[in-house]
Amino acid sequence: MQHGSREVRGGMAASASAQMALHDDHGSQQIQNPGLHDDFFDQMLSGLPSAWTDLGNPKSPWDASAAQKLFRIDLAGKQPDESQPEAAAEGLRYASYEEATMLASRLSQSQGSGGSSPTGEAMMLQLNNHHILPAVGRSQTAVGGGVGESGLLPLPLTLGSGGAADPRIIVETPRDEMDRPYKSPDHNGGEELYNGLGGSIRAAQAATGQHFHHPQSYGGAAASAGVGQGPAASASSGGGTPPQKQKVRARRGQATDPHSIAERLRRERIAERMKALQELVPNANKTDKASMLDEIIDYVKFLQLQVKVLSMSRLGGAAAVAPLVADISTEGPGGRAGANGAAAGNNDSLTVTEHRVAKMMEEDMGSAMQYLQGKGLCLMPISLASAISSAACRPSAGGLVPAPPPATTSAAAAAESPSSPSASALTVQSAAADTTAPKR
Amino acid sequence: MESKSSTTGNRDNPNRNLHGSKTMMASHFLRALFRIQQTSTSSSSAGRSRRIRRAAYASMAYSAGTRRAWSRALLRKLRSRARLRFPRRLSRAATPQRRDMDQAQVLRKLVPGGPSMDDCKLLEETADYIRFLTTQVRLMQTVMDSVSS
Repeated sequence: MQHGSREVRGGMAASASAQMALHDDHGSQQIQNPGLHDDFFDQMLSGLPSAWTDLGNPKSPWDASAAQKLFRIDLAGKQPDESQPEAAAEGLRYASYEEATMLASRLSQSQGSGGSSPTGEAMMLQLNNHHILPAVGRSQTAVGGGVGESGLLPLPLTLGSGGAADPRIIVETPRDEMDRPYKSPDHNGGEELYNGLGGSIRAAQAATGQHFHHPQSYGGAAASAGVGQGPAASASSGGGTPPQKQKVRARRGQATDPHSIAERLRRERIAERMKALQELVPNANKTDKASMLDEIIDYVKFLQLQVKVLSMSRLGGAAAVAPLVADISTEGPGGRAGANGAAAGNNDSLTVTEHRVAKMMEEDMGSAMQYLQGKGLCLMPISLASAISSAACRPSAGGLVPAPPPATTSAAAAAESPSSPSASALTVQSAAADTTAPKR
Repeated sequence: MESKSSTTGNRDNPNRNLHGSKTMMASHFLRALFRIQQTSTSSSSAGRSRRIRRAAYASMAYSAGTRRAWSRALLRKLRSRARLRFPRRLSRAATPQRRDMDQAQVLRKLVPGGPSMDDCKLLEETADYIRFLTTQVRLMQTVMDSVSS
């Protein structure tokens, strides 16, 4: 099924992006080899109808696995196609923003009940593959933009002016770098979610660092601009050929006038911050300030765009929260033996709270939530709670006792029995709150 | 709250000590989502997505607190009920010369509270803003994933 889903997804995505490539006529990243695209169309369009029907059907297994793959977060512990979603997330960056907004509007138009997440990920795939498709013309790996790990990443390389050495690097590094965040077996879904800016961003950095070579060369103008900001102090004290030897020259590293001191201080501070930014922004291997700033700007725009897109695609999903919550409230306090056994490890006040909340939930969900809010707790689905708490507590230093694991296992165990999800969610969340409370 | 105040303490920790605010962001955002879903079941999808987007930025700003200029500016903007507007330059046809001169300007437009900062502070705020943005984006992805699976 894995293989079949890939093909279907690849076929749909490539044909969709091929269609887009036809209609859209801008950028140098566009169609470079129309002839090959025709071959593509024939190939992909044959698989198209089945793919589209699959797309419309929210229950097809293709959707869930594809959506998981795309967003790289698989709470069930399966290992999705790691590099592709990562590249897909980053792939949004350098797709032109017009296309992104066009797809975003398309997405909002095609909102159906339950159709939100497939269309969301379809859009992401389209964007990603649209970016990749022109490069696919060169290599005949017609798997719709290369679903496999090795297939995806080398393709965009042919876009830029990047050298032939890059494909090698791309194929090898992502495997290693991306395997690291995804090592742990079970809670890796949440872990890689909140793996923060160290692991996955660096992995993405390495992965995208090579293959998002812009065809436009920043090098010339930016380098001159960066260098041209030659500090006055070091210019005067540098080892260059000084025109006048009578003037007192400051020694290297020292400045004579307060202007340059302040200037140097300011520059040092800016350099410090740029370094901090370099770690945050992927593809930050640029050495000159101007192109680094460009990267930063692009990245901020990209993130804001992602927030926008995610909020649009959340619409169908939010409706699914309601039955979940309602389900919890209707069940009430019945059959909470399992949760009580687990909650015995915590305070008694916690179980008292749980009782009260459960009772309140029977009458009015809103007031129950407000009550929880007052206590600094929150009710959430089990999967989400385990994801967040395991991610939040995992990177903590060794000094902290990781309280969540016993709670999460009980939560996981109770996940199947809808009778006590409320108690488990409370337990998990308050445990997480307890561990983070001392740090506040 | 976590030690987000001292930059020196953050250098060795790749996580930048965000995970204390992560749970706060998550709980705030989920509560907001729940409220939105309760109150606007029949309203337009555009209005709903706007509200969700607002909730995302609100939870970012709340968990960042008032210690940061960008979060203060964001909170101000949210409280004044102004429409959340973000400049999006749709065409990347900037000439190199223009690009160089405008970079700081462009960044100031993107980061909330930007116009009233000098370059140094702008970079610092941008870094923090990016941190919180990435956290928020991942949070939203998780939520969407968990409700759709």
